[in-house]
Amino acid sequence: MTRFSLSAVGADRPGIVAAVSGALEDAGCNLEDSTMAILRGQFAMVLVVSAPPGTSAEDLERRLDDVALRLGLVVVVRPLHEAEGGGAGAQEGGPAAGGAVEPGPVSAWTIAVHGADHPGIVHAVTEALAAGGGNVVDLVTHLVGEPDAPVYVLTIRATLPAERAEEVADAVRRAATAVGVHCTLRPDESDLL
Amino acid sequence: MTVRHVLTLPHDVLTTPSAPVGTVDAEARALAEDLLQTMAASPACVGLAAPQIGVGRRAFAVDVTGHRKARSCHGAFVLFDPEIVERGPAEVAREGCMSVPELTGDVARATWLTVAGLDVDGTRRELRVDAFEARAVQHELDHLDGLLFLDRVAGPHAVFPRKVYR
Repeated sequence: MTRFSLSAVGADRPGIVAAVSGALEDAGCNLEDSTMAILRGQFAMVLVVSAPPGTSAEDLERRLDDVALRLGLVVVVRPLHEAEGGGAGAQEGGPAAGGAVEPGPVSAWTIAVHGADHPGIVHAVTEALAAGGGNVVDLVTHLVGEPDAPVYVLTIRATLPAERAEEVADAVRRAATAVGVHCTLRPDESDLL
Repeated sequence: MTVRHVLTLPHDVLTTPSAPVGTVDAEARALAEDLLQTMAASPACVGLAAPQIGVGRRAFAVDVTGHRKARSCHGAFVLFDPEIVERGPAEVAREGCMSVPELTGDVARATWLTVAGLDVDGTRRELRVDAFEARAVQHELDHLDGLLFLDRVAGPHAVFPRKVYR
C-alpha cells in the first residue's frame, strides 16, 4: 500500500465527509488517521490514507475532482514516504519516525494559554517550545469575546524532553508572559487501567 | 449589598492570585453579601469568587441548591481564606464559568473533599462536599489562585464553544 496525506477545506455544509470518504472508498483507499473540524464556518479535514499499489497523488486528486467541484472544496493530496507515515507506536509521546525531533525520553504536557487577542501569541509560545526541543502533538485555538475585546484561547498538547521538561516549561511560561498572555503548563497524568 | 458586574476574560484580577482576607470585618461581610447577591441574580450560577467581581481577596460563594447533579448541599454559603483539608479521587466532567461565557471545558476534579475556611461570623467551618458541590468549590478555589477552568482542561479537544460556529 502507498500512503498519502490529504487535506480538504471548504465552506461547511452537510455531506462533505460522506462525499470525500465515498470517493476514497471507490479508489480502494483506507482511511487511517484523520482530524476534522469547523473553523469559522470552514470545514477542514486532514487525513492519512493508504491506497492500492501504483496509485499516484494525481490519480487521487482526479478521483476527488467531482466532489471538490460540487462541494467547493480545495483538495491537496501528497504522497508520504515510508519514514513519514508514522504508524503504530509513534503516537505516544515519541515523535513520528523520520521527524526532526531530537531523540530521547519525552513527557506529555498540556499547555493552556489565554489573554487579549493579538498577532504573535501562537508563534511566541511554540517558538519557545521548539527552541527547548518540545514538539506540538495537538493544538486547538478559539477566538472568543466581544468584537472590541477579543480573547484568544490556545490549548496545546506537547511533548517535552523528559530530562529538562521543567526548564522548557519555564521558558514557555516566560515567552507567554512576554507577549501579555496567561499560560499554565501541566504534565499529563494517565492511569493505566 | 449590591449585584456586582461579573468580569470576563481578559482581566488581570482573574489571572492573579488573591490576597488572604485574614480578619472577617465589615468590609469582608459586605463582600460576602455582594457575592451572594450577584450569584443569586444569575439563575444558572452555582458559585462566584471575589476576583470575578473585581476583588482580589480569598473569598467565594457557592450554592448548588436544587441542581440535578448535586448530592451534598450546604445551601448558599461563603468561605473566606478557604483551604482543602482532604480530597478524594478525581473525575472528569464538563464545566463553564461566567467569566468565560462562550466556552466550556472538561476538567478533572476531586469527587469529594473537605474544605475549611472562615464563615461570615469569622468562625472556622469545615465542610465535607461531594459531587457537583465539590466541583463548584474547587472551581471557585482555583479563581482565588488566579486559575480558570481553561488552565485545567484535559487537553486541546476538551474546550468547547457554547454555540456552534456557523
